[in-house]
Amino acid sequence: MITGKMRHIVLLVLLVAVSAQGATVTLTFHQHATQNLFQTNASVAEQISAFSLAFNQDISALSLFANVGYSAFHQTGGLSYFAADLGLDHLVPAGAKSAFYFAAEGAGAFFGREYEAFSTLGGSLTGAFKTYLAPSSIMRVQWQGMYASYADNLFNFLSHAALLSIDKYFPTRTTLKADAEYGYKYFLHPFVPVAADPLPEGGAVVMGAGGGGWGSGAGWGGQRYEGGNGFIPRAGEGGAGIGHVSVSALAAQGVGDVIGLSASAMRQWVVSGENPFMSIEEFYLVPNPSADSFSWDGHQLTGRITLDLPWSVEIKTGYTYSDKTYPGVESMGLDGLPLGIVRNDVRHLFEARLEKSFRFFSVFLAYSHIDNASTDPLFNWSSGYVMGGFQWNLPARRKGGLS
Amino acid sequence: MRRKAWLIPVLAALAAVPAAGQTAPGHYYDVDKEVRFEGTVREIVLEPRYKGAAPFLVLRVEESGKKTMVTVEISPSWFFGEDVHGGEKVKGIGSLSEGPDGTRTIIARELQFRGETLTLRDKRGFPSWQGGPKGRRGPKRFGGL
Repeated sequence: MITGKMRHIVLLVLLVAVSAQGATVTLTFHQHATQNLFQTNASVAEQISAFSLAFNQDISALSLFANVGYSAFHQTGGLSYFAADLGLDHLVPAGAKSAFYFAAEGAGAFFGREYEAFSTLGGSLTGAFKTYLAPSSIMRVQWQGMYASYADNLFNFLSHAALLSIDKYFPTRTTLKADAEYGYKYFLHPFVPVAADPLPEGGAVVMGAGGGGWGSGAGWGGQRYEGGNGFIPRAGEGGAGIGHVSVSALAAQGVGDVIGLSASAMRQWVVSGENPFMSIEEFYLVPNPSADSFSWDGHQLTGRITLDLPWSVEIKTGYTYSDKTYPGVESMGLDGLPLGIVRNDVRHLFEARLEKSFRFFSVFLAYSHIDNASTDPLFNWSSGYVMGGFQWNLPARRKGGLS
Repeated sequence: MRRKAWLIPVLAALAAVPAAGQTAPGHYYDVDKEVRFEGTVREIVLEPRYKGAAPFLVLRVEESGKKTMVTVEISPSWFFGEDVHGGEKVKGIGSLSEGPDGTRTIIARELQFRGETLTLRDKRGFPSWQGGPKGRRGPKRFGGL
């Protein structure tokens, strides 16, 4: 059923793409391999092939964009899914040095019957303003609201986040940047256990295998999920929210024409509420909490080196240390009993990416390694992740165009 | 066999893509006029460049060792997508055109700054800022659904 619908979406996007003058169509293929799909101490190796087709058409100052993708899981076939999004954005100049940006987007991910509980539809609205305070200094204000509705409505949420950012470039080729963010996520969780058929053994979740790979860290979760049964209601009925404030600073330095260095630090505080799921199984299965910017209190340090080499070769390497506590989420022993401590993860992430651009397409190879030490022993793990792929822009004009 | 039938129009559409659309008259990326440029960014403006298109991020670059200025046309998306500052040293590759009054404009294909290379168009001159999950003109996102 869902597959049938997705075929129609793919066809529609392609037909719109080829009939539109001046449109750009991008075909992307990523091949992933990991030794630990669910990011737990029970390693499950997996390979994922992710295809996507993106379309973009400028209509005056409006831009229409659409993307369809399919991720095929080779070992855990039931997790294979289609994803699609469609949206419009609009750039509004405010003088020569400033502009507003607005976007509206709808998105969905569709799983087969086995994992239909995780199929989701949602939408987001984005507004931003950017201005040059001086030629060497930029200020940016940004807001984004988001809604997601899952087939299993336990996980439905509303969220919004606002960001203020200021930077300054110095003649020494140094850039300093400071950000401040406030965010709030409200789960429309009904807080009523819903009887549902358990998922098959090893059942799992699910957030996007089609990512670009750099700096992602997005995870897989929910291996222990049991289909919505057995979660522990926190209190009463109705939803629950969690709010945070964060500040971050970044320093970047160019060295010659080849080397780019950057270091950044971030501190985040949970200022209201806590994660609504007392049991990690519940919360873990939607996005992996370590990849959910709303879920944690703690700090993160990152260092990166970029090498811009001849023959259109680029190498990026990075290291991130993070210490995150997930308020409201209890650590549990391997026997399933609560340990009486809030979950805390200390993570070391190493990433490297090699990219080569050719005349018609670009290819890349990326590797990341994560060491995760958690107060919940299930999440003590260490593993590598390999990804390779290509991106090909399909021309929709006979000559190099203007836009 | 029947299950695969839906693939036929998809493959046909993909095959048709390179021939679809027409070239807009006038200003376009001419691969025969490619030049390399290098200098210091002196001015950054967002200005309309083409009728019916979103305004472009445009850099006025003082060329190294020449004291001459050249206008470098970047893309619409970059105003939010990347942060270029006045005083930054940049170099790159682009298609050069000269106006009747002698002003020189380069449509950038590749821009290097801060030790990174950013590809704006492919080697045939087709924009690569559009399309793809990262190709939108907007700011970096807080995260996906």
